[in-house]
Amino acid sequence: MTVLTIAWITLSLFVGLTIYLLPKLDRYLAFGMVLLSGGYGVQVLLDQTLREIVLLDHFGVTLLLDQLSGYFILTNALVTAAVLGYCIFQQKSAFFYSQAIILHGSINAVFICADFMSLYVALEVIGIAAFLLVSYPKTNRSIWVALRYLFISNTAMLFYLVGAVLVYQANNSFAFTGLINSPPEAIALIFLGLLTKGGIFLSGLWLPLTHSESETPVSAMLSGVVVKTGVFPLLRCGLLMEELTPTLQLLGMATAFFGVIYALFEKDSKRILASSTISQLGWLMVAPAAAGMYALGHGLVKSLLFLMSGSLPSRNLDELQEKPMHTSLWIPLILGSLSMSGFPLWIGFSAKALTLKSLGSWQEMVMNVASVGTALIFAKFIFLPHKRQGEGIKPGLKWVASFLICALLLGNIFYWPAYTLPNMLKAVGAIAVAWLAYFVMVKPLKFQLPRVLEKFEHLIGVMSAILVLLFWTVFA
Amino acid sequence: MLEACVLATVFVGFIGIIFKHNLLMKIISMDVMSTGVIAYYTVIASRLGFGTPILNPENDVQYADPVPQAVILTAIVIGFSIQALMLVGAMKLAHDNPTLETDRIEQDNTP
Repeated sequence: MTVLTIAWITLSLFVGLTIYLLPKLDRYLAFGMVLLSGGYGVQVLLDQTLREIVLLDHFGVTLLLDQLSGYFILTNALVTAAVLGYCIFQQKSAFFYSQAIILHGSINAVFICADFMSLYVALEVIGIAAFLLVSYPKTNRSIWVALRYLFISNTAMLFYLVGAVLVYQANNSFAFTGLINSPPEAIALIFLGLLTKGGIFLSGLWLPLTHSESETPVSAMLSGVVVKTGVFPLLRCGLLMEELTPTLQLLGMATAFFGVIYALFEKDSKRILASSTISQLGWLMVAPAAAGMYALGHGLVKSLLFLMSGSLPSRNLDELQEKPMHTSLWIPLILGSLSMSGFPLWIGFSAKALTLKSLGSWQEMVMNVASVGTALIFAKFIFLPHKRQGEGIKPGLKWVASFLICALLLGNIFYWPAYTLPNMLKAVGAIAVAWLAYFVMVKPLKFQLPRVLEKFEHLIGVMSAILVLLFWTVFA
Repeated sequence: MLEACVLATVFVGFIGIIFKHNLLMKIISMDVMSTGVIAYYTVIASRLGFGTPILNPENDVQYADPVPQAVILTAIVIGFSIQALMLVGAMKLAHDNPTLETDRIEQDNTP
């Protein structure tokens, strides 16, 4: 397993480079790599043992394989496969495939490392690859959005580096487990870096613009897996060190509501999806033990919805109310929205049930309200009009959407005990309440939130505020 | 004292990223900040002594800790490649925004 793991991580970077050298083989190489990752992820999932791979003379540099990694690796493989399938019909150059596979490989690296230094390297490679993918169209807007992303992510990572050296100073090792014996400023700095990378709470203000202004396949990749790389180390730390769990839960709940509120006042379909990503990241943070399945469900749905949103006649929901879309586009959109709202039959339902089951009573109450909020946002998509004329779904997208919808159905096998009568009644009840609220309150709403906080200087400034806030939380 | 100076460098770079209006100056401020972080690693490494960490049985010196120095090499390389990427981005943007004022660029490029 050790040799296999190291070969697999290295291979993805190697394949990424090879694609660039042999552009004729780009699709085959890319799909081959993703297939390998999928197989590896399933194997890690089925293998119940916890494996540690320790470097000689290691200073804490270790790789850790457990079920959580398995779920995330599988999510990454499925989402990347869907995105590549979409790109085949899009005339993308070999450079795009090459960057996509390098991104895929570095994301996988995050999901198996258990020390702050390997994590740093993997996160920075992700930042660079994501920058190149976002700026791929080479328009002024895409370059600015990509530059802004790289700026914020790199500034956050510089704070993280200072935190990492403080952890080393306290423990003579970079392992995650040393975090708890480190000074509070180390915890605050490392958390700041990861929260910003993961788009959690106020540190996630950069996310809506970046995810909505990227090209369709890149948005799907970013929302599906890239942001989860910031959250994953936090989950790992929460699982390894019980003391951090309350902080993570508080942040998670705040994030879940923050994303929902941001999405409620939005009219732009891609921005709604991006804001909903923020709120779903909160769901991951609330219950680290159940996060694997939730990440799988969310990654599949988000990539489906983002890929679909690229084919809609307009991005503005008011215009979509006026101009009905073709029914073949509407069906995948509504199925994805149902899974997102936690409707029984889809993975969203069982993942939500698993998450709620592992919470305390008052946290469960709060998260139930958040889940009504999610259903409320997606009611905006479900109640869009549709007709049987006009431009239908493209054949390539049809295949990709079918693949993702099948995966959404099959995902239920990871937690089929969710299907009890009280659980199903609760889920359907929450959705009913949300839909009622949508017609009464949200649909007539004309108010839009100001976007002043999303300005570049403010995003950097918020970092210092978050740092102070974290410092006091840890100190208290 | 040394530590305070190094942390001040980090802080000055951070303030520069916020308050400088020109994109190029922002990129340079970020470089200042990362210089501060790199220097902080070397300060931490030299806690135990300044000796070059090469094993020498004849004389017993206080070695500097080699590990932070080794890992910060990676960060230097990453930092410089990100710097290069950003400058390329700034070059592309400079075609249509010769003054490179971020407020203007942001105004033109946000929906």
